[in-house]
Amino acid sequence: MFGSSSSSIIGNDILDIGSRKFDHRHGADDNNNMIPYAPPSLLLDSLNEHDRFEVPNVADPAHFCRTNFASTCGGGDSHQTVKFAKGTTTLAFKFDGGIIVSVDSRSTMGAYIASGTVKKVIEINPFLLGTMAGGAADCSYWERSLGMQCRLFELRNKHRISVASASKLLANTMNSYRGYGLSMGTMITGWDETGPQLYYVDNDGTRLHGRYFSVGSGSTYAYGVLDTYYRPDLTVEEAIDLGKRAIYHACHRDAMSGSINNLYHVTKDGWVKIHAIDVNDMHYEFLEEKEKERSARMASS
Amino acid sequence: MSELTSNNNLSSSSTGGAAGGFNFDHVHRNALLQHQLATTSAASNNSSSNSSILPLATKTGTTIVGLVYANGIVLGADTRATNDTTVADKNCDKIHYIAPNIYCCGAGTAADTEKTTELIASQMELLRLNTGGADHSRVVTACTLLKRLLFRYQGHISAALVLGGCDPIDGPALYQIYPHGSTSKLPYTTMGSGSLAAMAIFEADYRDDLSEDEAVGLVRRAILAGIFNDLGSGSNVDTCIIRTDGSVSMGRNDIMPNEVGPLRAQVKRSEVMNIGKGTTPILKSSFVKSKMMMSGGVSLADVTVTAMET
Amino acid sequence: MSILAYNGAAIIGMSGKDCVGIASDNRLGIQYETVAMDFKKVFKMNDRLFVGLAGLATDVQTLDQLLRFRMNLYELREERTMSPQVFTNLLSNMLYEKRFGPYFCEPVIAGLDEKGQPHLSTMDLIGAISSAKDFVVAGTCEGNLYGMCETLYKPDMDQETLFETLAQALLASVDRDALSGWGGVVHIITKDGVISRELKGRQD
Repeated sequence: MFGSSSSSIIGNDILDIGSRKFDHRHGADDNNNMIPYAPPSLLLDSLNEHDRFEVPNVADPAHFCRTNFASTCGGGDSHQTVKFAKGTTTLAFKFDGGIIVSVDSRSTMGAYIASGTVKKVIEINPFLLGTMAGGAADCSYWERSLGMQCRLFELRNKHRISVASASKLLANTMNSYRGYGLSMGTMITGWDETGPQLYYVDNDGTRLHGRYFSVGSGSTYAYGVLDTYYRPDLTVEEAIDLGKRAIYHACHRDAMSGSINNLYHVTKDGWVKIHAIDVNDMHYEFLEEKEKERSARMASS
Repeated sequence: MSELTSNNNLSSSSTGGAAGGFNFDHVHRNALLQHQLATTSAASNNSSSNSSILPLATKTGTTIVGLVYANGIVLGADTRATNDTTVADKNCDKIHYIAPNIYCCGAGTAADTEKTTELIASQMELLRLNTGGADHSRVVTACTLLKRLLFRYQGHISAALVLGGCDPIDGPALYQIYPHGSTSKLPYTTMGSGSLAAMAIFEADYRDDLSEDEAVGLVRRAILAGIFNDLGSGSNVDTCIIRTDGSVSMGRNDIMPNEVGPLRAQVKRSEVMNIGKGTTPILKSSFVKSKMMMSGGVSLADVTVTAMET
Repeated sequence: MSILAYNGAAIIGMSGKDCVGIASDNRLGIQYETVAMDFKKVFKMNDRLFVGLAGLATDVQTLDQLLRFRMNLYELREERTMSPQVFTNLLSNMLYEKRFGPYFCEPVIAGLDEKGQPHLSTMDLIGAISSAKDFVVAGTCEGNLYGMCETLYKPDMDQETLFETLAQALLASVDRDALSGWGGVVHIITKDGVISRELKGRQD
């Protein structure tokens, strides 16, 4: 696949392949020298460079985007005319029975609750899930783009893409737009030849492999629950309950998280959606449980 | 005469005494709060413009006008008060009492126009009582007191005023007072955000020899121009006629061109909006019987003195 | 974020036939972190007068104490209870005194006057009074509250209808605001006494 020219020595720029940075550096005259992976834009002309932005025609587009179109959480965009929908609690953890992905469904614009029925788990394909935290538009756009890249990989290579590769594709895209003010904190999970995998990717280009992650404004609350009750040898029922509780506690305390808890279970046969429960109903369910425990303790003592 | 004159520093307002004047206790605290909030809430961002942190006070967002006619003064005002883009009050009163023969329209920060005119009204009354108990004051006195007060605060008291009245010495007199304390004596004037719309009407139709009916008609049209063309002004027209013979006609809600009552009455309320009793889930309900009698005072025994939390 | 929205609040005052109601949410937060779900923002001044204070929590509590102090002093000196009109002017003057270093607080005053008729008024943080015959609102979801009250309000409601209207207007409004909610409380003031009810609201 590699070109025959002298520039085929593998350097650090191999990491940028498929990204905008790479296209820029190897644009114009270099175009046919080194095409280890054809950018989607060359394969699908009709879609016309769908994996990159039109950037504003100013001297420093990155600075312009960062100051006018950033979608940071909290009050970070209070000076901006344009405010994006955001605010989230998402979490995912690996355990012996697979992976649990659990999220809330609230979207806020400042203090206003823009929606209570957002799908924050993005079903990339039957074996891959992405979660959504940060800018809603940034997440859904780039994870859709990732979905497409994964499908192209499948068609080209006749086997499913690994979670490691898929997360890397997204990390590369994020890396090429560093400093543009994108906001995305996502977890890419799935089951591949190597078993269950979980990666964290964000807009800085960070890509981490781990056992459990929580992302979003309510993540600290969710981590509190996860750190206390997580064990690798949880049963599936216990794991579902843990995912549910962590999201409930985050929704209860964090003003920017709430509404409905969507929970997915990833197994070797792909992902299954377990439930969608209103966290308000959960509150009273747990309250009742606490009351029962208290009366049981009172009776025993 | 100054509202700040007080030698009694011991009786601060919190102890129930009337020290008078502004209290600057919170200025430093508020500056710190604002600074802190500005730096924490935008820590991740390099934003420098944090003016949004300062809460907005209610503005009058006004059209106010005044004109002199042969037999007196006519003042006019709209009745909308705004808080940013929200209409905070649909029918507020912008023609303030200063003396029996003097009234004053106010535009700018609602609290400032209200309190400034109240203060000058009280000073005018005291002056009358101290100088033989006349039943009227001079308009120029009110004007001077107002401009001195506003000048002292260098425009920080944002009150733009149209002061009008009739007294035996000067006859009808109309003054325009800016927040910084400058004044002008004019035959006709407009102020507030709708002043351009209103002035267009005045410039077209003002004459020196207007009759009372014509003068009132012109003021109404000027205010209506403000109501319909300026978004900061709205609702109803208030007018006030002060005649040289000392009589005053307050035309509160003189014209009500924006009545929503009849329109609302036409709207068929959906059955959904008639909320049935017991709809809302309740956790706890209590009823505390009133110890107060209807009309008539209470005895000392009825006064409940609750202990303060310390 | 405005200092008025630092802790979060939603308050409504609404009139009925020979009765008046005041409602508030229960949340105390520090920006987007919810700290308490039982924070008191509506205060009883006397049997026919309640005041709701929306804004910075420290000023809410300070103002409540200051107001109670002034009320008690007035009642002892004058041997009569304070009417809502007098109370409104008292509070307005207290706020305007601090014109250049204000309390970050927007009050809602609901009460019955000497004739037993509803009195409703609100003011901005420096004491510009605005009175209304139908309803007054304050808090972080002011827009939502105005919208709900404009649709649900009817003139001359009886006590129970007034309660349901206030409760539904409040709950629907705070469900679209991140900074207020977590349950609420409604007080209905009648000449015979005060009905107080705690509402079951969403806990997220």
